[in-house]
Amino acid sequence: MSETVLDVRDLEAGYEPGVPIVRGASITVDKGEIVVVLGPNGAGKSSLIKAVAGLVPISRGTVLLDGKDITAAPAHTMVRLGLAFVPQTENVFPLMSVEDNLKVACGILERRQAPASIEEMYAMFPDLARQKRSAAGNLSGGQRQMLAVARALIVHPKVLVLDEPSAGLSPKFVAVVFEMLAAIRKSGVTILLVEQNAKAALAIGDRAYVLVEGKERHEGVASTLWDDPVVAELYLGQRPLKREAGGAA
Amino acid sequence: MSLQFIVDGLLAGSMIGLGAIGVTLTYSILRFSNFAHGDFMAWGAYATLVCVGAIGALFGKVAPIAPLSFGWPLILGLIVGMAFTALLALLLDKLLFSRLRRQEQAIIVVMGSFGASMALRSLLEFVFTSRPTYFSRAIQIAMPVGLGIRITPDQIALLFLTAALVLGVHLLTTRTQTGRSMQAMSQNPALARIAGIDVAGVVRVTWVIGAALACVAGVMIGVLVQIRPLMGFDMLLPMFAAAILGGIGSIPGAVVGGLIIGLAEAGAVQLIGAEWRAAVSFIILMAVLIVRPIGLFGVRER
Amino acid sequence: MIDLVGYGAFFLTTALIFSLITLGLNLQWGLTGLFNVGLAGFVAIGAYTSALLTTPDDPARLGGLGLPIVVGCLGAMVVGGLAAALTGFATLRLRSDYLAITTFGVAVVVQLVALNAQTLTGGPFGIGFIPRPFGGLAETPLLFNLTNLAIVLAVTLAAYLALEHLAHSPWGRVLKALREDERAAVSLGKSARFYRVQAFAVGGAIMALAGALQAHFIGFIAPDNYLSILTFQVWVMLIVGGSGSNAGAVAGSVLVWAIWAGSGALTSVLFAPEQQARAASLQIVAIGVMLCVILLVRPNGLFGQRPRQVRFGKKAKVIAGESGS
Repeated sequence: MSETVLDVRDLEAGYEPGVPIVRGASITVDKGEIVVVLGPNGAGKSSLIKAVAGLVPISRGTVLLDGKDITAAPAHTMVRLGLAFVPQTENVFPLMSVEDNLKVACGILERRQAPASIEEMYAMFPDLARQKRSAAGNLSGGQRQMLAVARALIVHPKVLVLDEPSAGLSPKFVAVVFEMLAAIRKSGVTILLVEQNAKAALAIGDRAYVLVEGKERHEGVASTLWDDPVVAELYLGQRPLKREAGGAA
Repeated sequence: MSLQFIVDGLLAGSMIGLGAIGVTLTYSILRFSNFAHGDFMAWGAYATLVCVGAIGALFGKVAPIAPLSFGWPLILGLIVGMAFTALLALLLDKLLFSRLRRQEQAIIVVMGSFGASMALRSLLEFVFTSRPTYFSRAIQIAMPVGLGIRITPDQIALLFLTAALVLGVHLLTTRTQTGRSMQAMSQNPALARIAGIDVAGVVRVTWVIGAALACVAGVMIGVLVQIRPLMGFDMLLPMFAAAILGGIGSIPGAVVGGLIIGLAEAGAVQLIGAEWRAAVSFIILMAVLIVRPIGLFGVRER
Repeated sequence: MIDLVGYGAFFLTTALIFSLITLGLNLQWGLTGLFNVGLAGFVAIGAYTSALLTTPDDPARLGGLGLPIVVGCLGAMVVGGLAAALTGFATLRLRSDYLAITTFGVAVVVQLVALNAQTLTGGPFGIGFIPRPFGGLAETPLLFNLTNLAIVLAVTLAAYLALEHLAHSPWGRVLKALREDERAAVSLGKSARFYRVQAFAVGGAIMALAGALQAHFIGFIAPDNYLSILTFQVWVMLIVGGSGSNAGAVAGSVLVWAIWAGSGALTSVLFAPEQQARAASLQIVAIGVMLCVILLVRPNGLFGQRPRQVRFGKKAKVIAGESGS
């Protein structure tokens, strides 16, 4: 449909040499989309997006961001290149104030730009504005997740990559976080998301991939994917996986 | 008991505190106890000494800035010495510590620093012999300032210098982007990278600050006491004790810890004699480790 | 020829005493992962304890109980072990660096006591007239040296066999498991800490025994014998031999002591007397550099058998740039 922002081709990655966790996965994310990566435990979902973000060594394949090869870019250069990553846990600096958490992320912005960008985040997340002086470690789980997302968004990335944003949150906060992501997308941000909470993620997503054993096996429109019998099979692993079940990525 | 110990303690505490800032930064950002940090002091002092000597050879005798015992050559020498010590630390990091860090075992890095410390110290002994030396042999008259306390102009100047440096480093680490990056690194290095912080840059800044301050502390010891190859190694225990007492990672903590230890040492020297000075740091260290291992201003480790 | 045998025996005796210290350190570091940078302090504790217990009465200082040498050695082990246990007890619940700093402090304080507590330690001049085993043989140096060697060899062998046995016992396996995963060790809490305190105490007792043996072998001790250079030498010996291996610890000790004694003899031949202090410092520089190079190039030592494992799965930190595509 529209232009591809993130294009991951045939990616193989893992912590130990010779022991790939991601085995030839290919996914694309188009501008303005929310793409969800689902999959059973241990499928390599987190490793896939960590590899994309430069946090897991890549042994094969390419990652293109806006057509530019970022496969070998070190993790700390990713925000500058336009890819912002929100880890699943420990995603704020607990002893620094909310404001300093945001300031520290402004490192790649021009000095004059930083205050306006911080105000922009406060406007988007009024909860954070109210607590700007308190230490991030004292925030509630949901607020902490907001701060982590705000920290990533403040540099206006081309794509926002999130690792299980609902993990460890109470159901009330899960809803808050997904509403927040939907709102962020409305403001024009492209999002790639890994999630265990498939139902909630598919509700806000445009497209989804199902990742099994390090490779994407199915791709579909998010709203219909939940009812797709193939997905249930892949997810629950009731039948041995067949090659033909794999979606044409 | 004479109140003179307050001045003596504040001076000793300044030297310990300046050193402890480097120890605490290395520990919180590079995550290891650097046993070679004391030797940065000694190397800084000798570098400054050589520079002062070179200036003397080039320009002849320079009159001291009254009422101090030293003139501009020492000030210039100190700046050169700080730069030299910073370069030494960066070089050591490049050759040794950065490679050992890649083995992912903090204690191996500690061991490497122990070996480096031994080599650095003995190299000084080789070049300069173990005989003590001095920046100036002029004897300064201590001025009485009341309550039985006497202080020399040099001592006053060095106390002000310490205060200015500590304030400067505090502002740098709390008010600037560099400082925030350092805080971020110490709290969560992985997230710091994700947030776009150049880890290698932060590591360099850490070494430069720690080593430059160590050089100042070494020169202070040189001005007020004497210069010996062992001078830094002897400061190691007080510096570690100060950093832990203040709370690892806390710069104000390191300075306050240094002052407390300096004052306690000076008090002990008056009460039980100079020969037991070194035991004071150990007693304070053990007390902190048993009662409150996170120190005065520390926060619980994650 | 006889001189050479005598010197050989003397050399080996010293090397084996170092081996004994290294064996103690290997139990602490190689097996348990506890970093002791103050081992000179524990060696000194052993030497002074045994000296106080066994020397004849001396009005100038306390002690001088005139007890048998065996009692002195046992006393040394008890006191050294207790000192190590206390050190471990205070710091082993904390990060490993704190133990390192504390042991460093122990060495400083022991040195201070040795220098200043004149009535106990004889101050800077140390303690003399320490009884030597089979001192009656001192008239015939060769026989005396060989007897000493036999005694030290027997003790070292006994320690080696005991440590080998311990390393393969359930106790040793627990220690190894704790070393491999410090986080698990911390989460296991008190019982894990207790295991490590035990290992640290036994290591300290062995070091103290070595100190006592050396005191009885030389017959004279002074604070200078226990400076940080001793700690440093023993660390180099262990790292060269390969931490974790008792045989490596012994081999490393003999090898490094041979290098040390050899280069020392060489400098005394090559350099004028007034230059020898300088040459000696260059010797330390060389050994320091050697330690760093071994840590960099062969962290398992020259005889080490098995790579130390990476803990915590920290490899996640490897930046993608290093793996490339």
